[in-house]
Amino acid sequence: MALILSKFRSDFIKMILVFIFFVTVPLWISRVGLYNYIALEILIWCIYGMGYNFALGYTGLPSFGHGAFFGVGAYAMAIYQIHWGGDSLWIGLLLSILAGVLAGGVTGMLISHRRGIYFSLLTIAFGQMFWFLAIKLRDVTKGEDGLLNLQRLPANFGLFSIDLSNTDSLYYFTFALFVIVVVMLWFFIHSSFGYVIRALKQNETRAQFLGYNVTLFKLISFTISTAISALAGGLFALAQQSAFPDVMSLHWSGIIVMMTIIGGGLVSFWGPILGVIFYFITRDIVGGMTEAWLMWFGGTFMLVILFQPEGIAGLWGSLSKRFLTGKPALPTVSTPQEAQHEPV
Amino acid sequence: MTFSKKYLLVLTFLVMLITSVSVLAQDELPPIIIGFTSDASGQYANSGAMDRRGMMMAIEEFNANGGVLGRQIEWVHFDTETNPATATRVAERMISQEGVSFLIGGVSSGVANAISQVAQQHGVIYFNTNSSSPTESGENCHRTKFVWDGHGANFSQATVEGAVEAYGANWLLLTNDYVWGHDTSAATRALAEASGATIVDELLVPQGTRDFSSYLLTIQQQSPDVVAAAVGGDDLRALRIQVVDQGLDTSIAWINNQQDWPDVYGVPPFGIFGTTWYYGFDLPGVDEFVARYQEMFPDTSLSVPGNVLYNGYVATHTLLTVIEEVGTTNNHAIIEALEGREFTAEERMQHFGAWIDADNHHVQQAIYIASANSNPSEEYDIYEIATIVSPEDAMALQDCTLESLEDTPVYEP
Amino acid sequence: MAFIIELLPHIFNGLTIGLLFALIALGFTLIVGVMELINLAHGSLFAVGAYLALATMSFFGASGFTSPTLLQYGAALIIAPIGVAILGMGLELGMRRTYGKEPLYGLLFTYGAALVIEEGIRQLWSSNDQYFPTPRIISGGMMFGDLIYPKYRIFASIFAIFMIILLWLFIERTKVGAIIKAGAHDSEMVRVLGVNLTVLRLFVFSFGAALAGIAGIILGPIWGVRPHMGVDAVIPAFLIVTVGGVGSFWGSVIAGIAVGLTSGITAYFAEDWSLMSIYILLAVVLIFRQRGLFGKASSLDT
Repeated sequence: MALILSKFRSDFIKMILVFIFFVTVPLWISRVGLYNYIALEILIWCIYGMGYNFALGYTGLPSFGHGAFFGVGAYAMAIYQIHWGGDSLWIGLLLSILAGVLAGGVTGMLISHRRGIYFSLLTIAFGQMFWFLAIKLRDVTKGEDGLLNLQRLPANFGLFSIDLSNTDSLYYFTFALFVIVVVMLWFFIHSSFGYVIRALKQNETRAQFLGYNVTLFKLISFTISTAISALAGGLFALAQQSAFPDVMSLHWSGIIVMMTIIGGGLVSFWGPILGVIFYFITRDIVGGMTEAWLMWFGGTFMLVILFQPEGIAGLWGSLSKRFLTGKPALPTVSTPQEAQHEPV
Repeated sequence: MTFSKKYLLVLTFLVMLITSVSVLAQDELPPIIIGFTSDASGQYANSGAMDRRGMMMAIEEFNANGGVLGRQIEWVHFDTETNPATATRVAERMISQEGVSFLIGGVSSGVANAISQVAQQHGVIYFNTNSSSPTESGENCHRTKFVWDGHGANFSQATVEGAVEAYGANWLLLTNDYVWGHDTSAATRALAEASGATIVDELLVPQGTRDFSSYLLTIQQQSPDVVAAAVGGDDLRALRIQVVDQGLDTSIAWINNQQDWPDVYGVPPFGIFGTTWYYGFDLPGVDEFVARYQEMFPDTSLSVPGNVLYNGYVATHTLLTVIEEVGTTNNHAIIEALEGREFTAEERMQHFGAWIDADNHHVQQAIYIASANSNPSEEYDIYEIATIVSPEDAMALQDCTLESLEDTPVYEP
Repeated sequence: MAFIIELLPHIFNGLTIGLLFALIALGFTLIVGVMELINLAHGSLFAVGAYLALATMSFFGASGFTSPTLLQYGAALIIAPIGVAILGMGLELGMRRTYGKEPLYGLLFTYGAALVIEEGIRQLWSSNDQYFPTPRIISGGMMFGDLIYPKYRIFASIFAIFMIILLWLFIERTKVGAIIKAGAHDSEMVRVLGVNLTVLRLFVFSFGAALAGIAGIILGPIWGVRPHMGVDAVIPAFLIVTVGGVGSFWGSVIAGIAVGLTSGITAYFAEDWSLMSIYILLAVVLIFRQRGLFGKASSLDT
C-alpha cells in the first residue's frame, strides 16, 4: 500500500494538471474557435478512451468491437427514460454500467480464452452482432432512427438537486465522474490485480505457468473496460439527448482504437486523452478546411503505426527527455507502465 | 518593466482600440445565416444536393434585391450523411458554433427528426423541406418545425383506394426499415384494408440494401396483385434497376409511394407513384423557374428541376418573405406568422392553393399521381400526370401535440 | 413437400451468394495464409477494383446506363485488377516496417489504409452511388419454372467457380504456387530454400489485392458501386476466413458457401435477419472449433 501511495504521489502532479486543464475548458474554449458542446463530447470520449485503454494498453486485449458497449450504455439510459419512464439520473447511469457489465461479461466469457488476432476478429463479430441487434430490435430501439427526446436528468443529492440541462453543468457533472474514473483506474492499475494483467499482457503463457487463471483475469479486465465504456455511453446519450446505433458500428469501434493508439495509449496512462483531443480538434478544425479530413486522420494513423507506435505521449516523453538532459532519449518512455513498456 | 515590454503593452492597447473602433464604425448589419442540413452522402445524397440548390436559388433571389431587413443572407452547409447521429451533431454545431439564424433542409426523416429535436431545444426555426414521414407532422412534430413535402400518408390516401379497384386485392408491402418506411407502410396498410384488400406480406428492406434478389424471389412466390413500395433514395434506384432488368415491372402492379426526381434519372420509373411538382406543369411561372435553374446550374446531369429542389426553394422563399413581412427575425413572431398561412396556387406553382396547418405545421397541398410517360415530348419529360388530388382530398392528419410558445425558447438571430 | 419446393429457389440463391462470398474471400485468405496478415484494406481494394472498372469502361466509350460491349467489359476485367495490384504493391512497400512485430500492427496499418482509401474514393469519384452496367448478354432475367432469376447472378456464380478452380490449379500445379504453399506453412523454411521472402510477400500481397479487385468488379453490378462497399465486403471476408480457418483454401470456399446458404435460407423465413444468421453461424462454429472448420495453428493466435 505504501508503495502505491508513493507512486501515486509521483503521478499526482500530472493528474492535477489534467484535472485543472479540464476544469478550465469551458472558460476559454469559445475563444479558440470551438464551442462548449464539443468540450462535453471530448470529455465523455476521454472516459470512453480511458476505459478502452484498460483493455488495450494494460491487458493487451485489442478489441475492435468496443463501440458496442459504448452503445449499450447509451441505450440503457435511453430505454430507462423512454420505455420505463425513469427520471432518476443515478438509476439511469447505474443501468448503463450494469448493461456494460452484462454485455461485456457475456462477450468476455465467450471470447476471453482466445488470443491475439483471433481475439480481435471475435470482438469485431460480437460488436457487429450488438450493432445489428440495435438496428433490428425496432420496438425497443427505434432502429436507425434512434431513441430521441431524452432528458438531461437532474443530479439529485437528496438535500439539494443540480439541474444538468445546461451543457456547462452537464460538463462539470461529467468532469466529476471523469475524476472518479481516472483515480479508480489508476488504483486498479497499480494494485496487485493491475500487475497481473500487465504481466499477462507481456506474456500470457508465462503468466499461466505462474499459476494465474489467465482467462479469468482477462474476463474481469475486459468487463471493467466495457463497464466504463458503457458509463461513457450513458453520458453520451444524455449529451446528445438521444441514442443511435451509429456509435456501435465497426467504423466507430475502429475510431476509438485509432484515438487511443495515436494518443499513446500503448505506453501512457494519459494517451487516450491526448488521442481523443487530437481527433476532435482534427475533426472540427481540419474538417472545417477540407471535407477529406478523415483521410488525413487515417494517414496520420498509418504513420503513427509505422514510425511512432508510442503515439503523442511517447513523442512528448522522448522530446522532453531530450530537452531536459540534452541527450537523445532512450527508446523507452517512462509512464505509469514503467519499464514494462512493450508494444502490445 | 523594461522598455520593450512597455512598448509592447502600449502597442497591444492601440491595436485593440483600433479594432474596436473599426467594429463600431461598421454600420453594416450582420448577415442572416441559414444552415443547410441536407445530406451530401448516404442514401439521399442526390436529393440532398437538389434540396440545397433550391435553397440557394431563393437566397440568391433575395440577395439580388438587397437581402431581407437590409441584411444579406449567407448559408453554411455540413453533411448530415443520411445519418441521424451525425445530424444531431451537425445541428448542435451549426447553432452553437456557426451561430445560424435558421435551419433548412432534410430528406431522410430520421435525420429531420434528429435535427428538429436540437432545434426545438434552442428555439431555432427548422424547415423540413423534403422528408416525408407522416410522423414528422405527427408524433415528432415541434413548434419550431415546419414540414413542406407531402407525406407518405398523403400519397397513400391519394393512390390506394383507386389501386385496389384497378389492380386487385392482394397486396404486398415493401418497407424501408426506418421511420419513413414504417409509417408510410402503416398508412398504406390501413387504407388498403379499409378498401377491402388483404396484405399478404410485408418485407423489410434495411437502409442501404443493394441486392434485392431474395426479395424479388419472395415477391414472385407470393404473386400479389400489387406491390406497394415505401423504399427511398438510392435503395429505390437499385431496386428499380433490378426489377426492370428482370422484367418484373410489367408482370406486377407497382405503387411507389413517392418518387423523388433525383432518383428518376437513368432508369425510368414504372408503376404508379406520387409527386408534388413537375417541371412540365403548364402553369404560370414554371417555365421561368426552370430557366432560372438552368441559368444558375448550367453544368449538371439533372438539367431540369424536380420536386425536391422545388420544396427547398419554396420553403426558403417563404421564410425570407415572412421575415420581411413581420420585420423581425424573432422566432415567436415568425412562427405565429407561418401558422395558418395560406398560399395561392400561383405562389405554389401548383394547381391548387395550399396552407400551413396551424395544428401540426404541415403544408397541406395538392398531390399528383403519375406514371411513366409513354409519349415524352423531350428527353426529360418522364412523367405523365394521371390525377391531381386537391389538398382537402389528400389530407391525412396525424396526431400531433405542439409545444406551447412559452415552452419554446426565444431566439432572435 | 410444397414447403421444400418453395424453399428451393432460396437455397439456390444462397448458393450463388455463397460462391460470391467465397470469391470475395479468396484474396483475403491468400494473404492471411502466407503473410499472417489480417488485411482490413481488403474491402477498400475491392471497391477500388469496381471504380477502376467503371473508369476503364468509360475510357473505352461505355458510360452511364448503356450496356457496355463485351470488349469494354473484358478490358475492365483485365485492366482494373492490374491497377489494384499496383496499389497493393504500394501498400505492401509501406507496411514493411510492421513485419516481425506483432500481427496486430499489420491489422492496424491496413485499417488506417482502408480509411484513407475510402476517403480517397469519395474525393475522386464523389460519395454518390454509381451504376455498374453489364453487357447485354449477361443481363436481364432468366425463367426457372415460373420464377424469374437475374442472369447476371448465374454468370457471377459461374465466374466465381471458375476463379476458385483457377486459383487452386495455380497453387497446386505451378512452381510459384508451391512456394506460396510452402510459405503458408513456414516462411523460415522458404528462405532457407533460397526464395527471396521480400519478393514473395510483394507478389502475394499484390496478387491478393488483384483478386479483391476482381471480386469488386463482379460484385459491383449486384451491390452497386459506392465508397462504403468496401466495408460490405471486408466483413464477409473476415467472417468466412474465421469460420473456414486461417490458411485453409478449401476451408474458405466451404465456409463461403455455408455462410451464403445460411443467409439465403434465413431470408426465406425472416428476410431481414439473414445478416444476423451469419454471425450466429460464426459464434456456433467458434464455440465448437477453436480455429474454425479447417484452421491450423499459426502465430495469429498467440
